[in-house]
Amino acid sequence: MSESVMAAQRPAKSASTRMKIILEKFFNFKTLRGFSTVVVFCVLWQLVVYYEVPYLLNLPRPLDVANNAGASAAAPDYWINWGLSLMRIFIGFIAAQVIGIPLGLAMGISRTFKQFTFSIFEILRPIPPIAWIPVAILFWPTRELSIYFLVFIGAFYIQILNVIQGVSNISVNVKWAAYSLGAKPKDIFWRILLPGSLPSIVTGMTVGMGVAWNVLIAAEMIAAQGGLGRSTWESYTNHNIPYIVVGMASIGLAGSLCSVLLRWLGKRAMPWTKKF
Amino acid sequence: MTTTAIGSEKHTSGNFGEVRFEGVSKVYEKEGEEKLVALEGLDFLVQKGKTTVLMGPTGCGKTVLINLIAGYEKPTSGAVYMDGQPVREPGSDRLVVFQESALFPWMTVHANVTFGCQVQGMAETQTREKANHILNVVGLSDFRDKYPSQLSGGMQRRAELARALINDPKIMLMDEPFRGLDAMTRQLMQEFYVQLYEKEGHTNLFITHEINEGIFLADRLAIMTFQPGKIKAEIEVDLPRPRDFKLMATPRFMEIRAHALDLLYEEASKALAAGRKSAFDLVGALASTKDSCQVPL
Repeated sequence: MSESVMAAQRPAKSASTRMKIILEKFFNFKTLRGFSTVVVFCVLWQLVVYYEVPYLLNLPRPLDVANNAGASAAAPDYWINWGLSLMRIFIGFIAAQVIGIPLGLAMGISRTFKQFTFSIFEILRPIPPIAWIPVAILFWPTRELSIYFLVFIGAFYIQILNVIQGVSNISVNVKWAAYSLGAKPKDIFWRILLPGSLPSIVTGMTVGMGVAWNVLIAAEMIAAQGGLGRSTWESYTNHNIPYIVVGMASIGLAGSLCSVLLRWLGKRAMPWTKKF
Repeated sequence: MTTTAIGSEKHTSGNFGEVRFEGVSKVYEKEGEEKLVALEGLDFLVQKGKTTVLMGPTGCGKTVLINLIAGYEKPTSGAVYMDGQPVREPGSDRLVVFQESALFPWMTVHANVTFGCQVQGMAETQTREKANHILNVVGLSDFRDKYPSQLSGGMQRRAELARALINDPKIMLMDEPFRGLDAMTRQLMQEFYVQLYEKEGHTNLFITHEINEGIFLADRLAIMTFQPGKIKAEIEVDLPRPRDFKLMATPRFMEIRAHALDLLYEEASKALAAGRKSAFDLVGALASTKDSCQVPL
């Protein structure tokens, strides 16, 4: 059925059928299966606590964690920490994309530029982002700036490598065909090279986002004021174990939300990758 | 489906081209590697308004020949002339349909087909009109908003044909365009292409490994030698037009085919003796055409 036909039918649906469709989207076998493993995980966790499994004696009960999570969610500090971590991620991550994507495109397109830049890039790239923490603290005037910088480093190199790969993946026939059809260099860039490397760019973002969270949490634990990583660390120093678990779960949730957002953006930006 | 889709009038301007190779050599030299003479002293004429089919063992330089006409590569010596003008760079008067699909995966069929018009700055209404016509000709009107990955192999080939034809090229350069299609689709595409040609009459240079396809489409069949690539022989295919598949059962078709196979077999053996693995492809292909020729395998 063509999309226009489906669109024509949409307004005819009543509010109740629409509600039903939304409910079916969230309550179906697929989501149920996912939910069931979460339940099994919690049951196992409860059993571990109940039977006092060696080495895991400090583990709080799931219910304690849930209670503490509720208490956290009621406190404004908790949401301020969310806000701080998300802001640090987005500033560092977006800076990495804004600088990394054009640089990667330039390296992918111009052999001369790549010859000039690639060796220094390959020397700096293997340095783990966390190894930048001392100089980041020393060089940037504020702690916040140094954390942005560390997150930036985490996402930056990965994106450059992916963009270079994305440009080189575009087949020479596609470029030749475009030239034959009368494309000028600007058409080649905007209509061939950029959309052609987009799948790799989105991959670079997804992987980079993972590393960015790694770096952020480490940096927050060492150097920051506030943030999900910092509050988890402070729960440790206060020996408040349920709060540690709440912190970890929050970090996991925040990371997944970022991945979901990127996947959604990727699908929107690349309608041609949709399969049906 | 493909047979009835052809429009009633010619859409091309009828301004067809002639390509002439004069003493063209193409040598690939890389440091530390043996130099490869792809073409040597090649003189060749692609006649105006005719379908010339090029055959020869794998690695004999057929694709190089097309790349030279298209302007993707430059000859080491000699020159390629398009209507008397030396070829210098790619242009929309010489369009290639590649072995593997070179459709732009991120554009819909419509955007692919109109890409040439758009980058050349044609007015939108005129572009739309031309696209409607050409999509009708290739039978893809209902698929204009699909992406290439959502089309079958045969549809992709037709979309690629449309993307080229909309620009009224003076010559169509077909580099094994139907390779990889299943037998049924391939036959339909051959039939479609013959009818398209008989309608439009554009100049064609068509590379294939499939002898029946070659003869069925050709006005002239050119057979290339194996390294260095030269034209070994040209066979005039004087079969009547319009053509259909019954033609393949006629004695004249068989006669031309036997002659062409003899010539191809000689070159394939040479390629084989030179230790080219790729030559096995051709000898294998010849054997599979159920001909009586003896294949030493």
